[in-house]
Amino acid sequence: MDKLISPESLLAAAEQVYAQGQHPLTAMFGRDETAQGAGYAIYCCFELPEKKDICVVKAAFEPEGSLSYPSLTHAIPAAAWYEREIKDMFGLTAEGHPDLRPLVLHESYPEDFYPLRKSVRVNAKVRGERQFKMRTAKGQGLFEVPVGPIHAGIIEPGHFRFSQAGESMLQLDAKLFFTHRGLEKAVEGKTPAEALHIVERICGACSIANTWSFCQAAEKIAGAAVPRRAEIIRTLLSELERITNHVGDLGNMPAGVGFNPAISLGSRLKEQLMRLCEGIAGNRFLRGMIVPGGVRQDITQELIEEIHSTLDDVAEGVEDLAAMFREQENFQNRIRTTGIVRTKTAKDLAMVGVGARASGYAHDSRSDFAYGIYPELDFKPYTKTMGDVAARLLVRIGELSASFEMADKLLEMLENCQGMPLCADVEYCGGEAWGISESPRGSNFHFLALDGAGRIDRLFVRSASYPNWPALTIAVQGDIIPDFPLINKSFELCYACIDR
Amino acid sequence: MGYILEGLALNIVQALVLLAFAPLLAGIISKVKARLQKRQGASVLQEYFDLRKWWRKPVILTPYTSSIFILAPIVYFMTSFLAAAMVPGFLAGQLTISDAFVFVYILALGRFFMSLSSMDAATAFGGMGGAREIYISVLVEPAVMLAILINSLRYHTTTLSGMVIDYDGAYFTVSAALACVAFFLVILAENCRLPVDNPDTHLELTMIHEGMTLEYSGPLLALIHLGSMLKMMVFLTLFGALYLPLSVPLAVKILCCAVLIGVVEILNNKMRLFKVRVYMGAAIVLLLLAIIAE
Repeated sequence: MDKLISPESLLAAAEQVYAQGQHPLTAMFGRDETAQGAGYAIYCCFELPEKKDICVVKAAFEPEGSLSYPSLTHAIPAAAWYEREIKDMFGLTAEGHPDLRPLVLHESYPEDFYPLRKSVRVNAKVRGERQFKMRTAKGQGLFEVPVGPIHAGIIEPGHFRFSQAGESMLQLDAKLFFTHRGLEKAVEGKTPAEALHIVERICGACSIANTWSFCQAAEKIAGAAVPRRAEIIRTLLSELERITNHVGDLGNMPAGVGFNPAISLGSRLKEQLMRLCEGIAGNRFLRGMIVPGGVRQDITQELIEEIHSTLDDVAEGVEDLAAMFREQENFQNRIRTTGIVRTKTAKDLAMVGVGARASGYAHDSRSDFAYGIYPELDFKPYTKTMGDVAARLLVRIGELSASFEMADKLLEMLENCQGMPLCADVEYCGGEAWGISESPRGSNFHFLALDGAGRIDRLFVRSASYPNWPALTIAVQGDIIPDFPLINKSFELCYACIDR
Repeated sequence: MGYILEGLALNIVQALVLLAFAPLLAGIISKVKARLQKRQGASVLQEYFDLRKWWRKPVILTPYTSSIFILAPIVYFMTSFLAAAMVPGFLAGQLTISDAFVFVYILALGRFFMSLSSMDAATAFGGMGGAREIYISVLVEPAVMLAILINSLRYHTTTLSGMVIDYDGAYFTVSAALACVAFFLVILAENCRLPVDNPDTHLELTMIHEGMTLEYSGPLLALIHLGSMLKMMVFLTLFGALYLPLSVPLAVKILCCAVLIGVVEILNNKMRLFKVRVYMGAAIVLLLLAIIAE
């Protein structure tokens, strides 16, 4: 923790660190320290790219004192969702917030229920009623289109409310968090090793990113040094996860416009990659590989060769896919100038990942932070400036070729450090730390606080989809509603990541 | 009197034959698409299985619907069936009740009822589908009329059976070639195929024809699907008889067209909704050129 202040001075302190957007807001979350004799606290984390560090500002509330603080949202738009979540989870009110509707807890929860307070048991059963109003535009000839939470495809639940003027989308409000699992609460009181199994199941698309961020935090608290071979394997797995998801996303985007051959090729390549993952980890989602201190399993010489040959195959397939996209004029017509997010919007919302980089905002944890083997790989973020569906598609294609190159180098490094140790011993003590890694969808941030016995007191998870969801609702404005599936697929946001 | 009844019977027999093979045609198009994607694909008989499935299921109605909702699928199916009886087809000695204008507006009647029913259940998807269907039909109608006008000018008649292409080989004019290409574009738009509509999407927000059928279930859904498949069959029959200047049996022509539609659908993706007018504009310009050439 870099700054400890009172809630009243949070706004001033945050604005100072934020420096008009030079240091974007990574995350903001609450914590209940009443068990330690203190009150509630709010943590604000800002990225300091020039120092490759994160600045943590902590506002500590007096025990039994007022539960409100000045809202940051007007100065730092990215804080909007965090402040709503803190209100839902801890009952701390951001005074002056423009939109303090509930975010996580829907109509069936009682009014004064704050699940992340320590006084609420993890298996508490509640039932009640509260208001959850959707935001809609009113006017003559305007109408609403409700979509979801149950969709025609096999996807996760989310409710979208479109305010329409004919085919044009005027406004979109998304109601998410339908299947919030309370994982942050469930891990409290567990050791990091026990919690790991839950953490790597937060989301199917970024299990490596989630475990890696979590382990970074745990290792920082324990002061453990990860062996070099383990770091190489982690970096390789992370790139494999990126390749698998980027290829899957590329195959998914043409589904928004019924471009069938590209869908088929994309799903074939993704299947090939998932089978490779199964060969490495014993499961298709690369679970069970990363543990605090290092990795659990080695990547043998045989596997190295298999990875080589599969990636060569897939790289060729990706080239075919990219050519298909390039040569299909009708497809190009659909993706260009559709769903634009401008650079200013991307920065204001502190967007991450592909969405940010396609809008000319070069945000990538692999270069913004020194972790894993990335500093040795001479990595540069790949950006496009248009911010439309086409840009997000091209960023994925560009990043894939960078990932193929990095994977090659990493495999070579692995061959050169045979037989080195895989895992260091980890002894936990009390403390708090953050971890960050770049998931396929963007930066993945974990904050971990352990009590004196080395058990989890607070875990906060901010996956990449969290800051990008609000950007989707802005990207669609002015486009026509039949383009929504395409725009949505170009972001490929995750529901499970925010339903943690 | 006797020959009228006999002729009428022939018309009905033809409609029944087309009806019987319509699901097979749809199955063949799906199969071609699947194979071109290197997928195994469902059996070409799948549409028959689906129809049987829907036929056995109960109809579920929302309490907000009126009688239009039940009437529309029946009218839609009947109009397709009537069109199938009128189209110049396989059997000689049919009655020449097949006036081209009656034919076009019988099909329009079916579309009109479907658009009405799409708004009846007051769901957003249905209304959007209906609005888009009308938007597209406004563009398709002049194209179909122009296409008919070409043959009408050539043969000095407005009955469909009088317009059938003569296969003597002396018939390869610029006008016929242009009309052939243009009418194929019209078929794709009229039957909700790519690149205008996506027949196998699950994305409610982009649906046109499928959007209108979302609220239907059971036998009513089966009627709508059968009606659309029959309409496709009717259009391909008409295309084969009037616009495809090849001297091969009609069934072969239809089969070739089905394969061609599968290929075109694989080579294309759905266009932006408001681009449809450019697409239909192209068809109309081709037809105008054909009329000038005629």
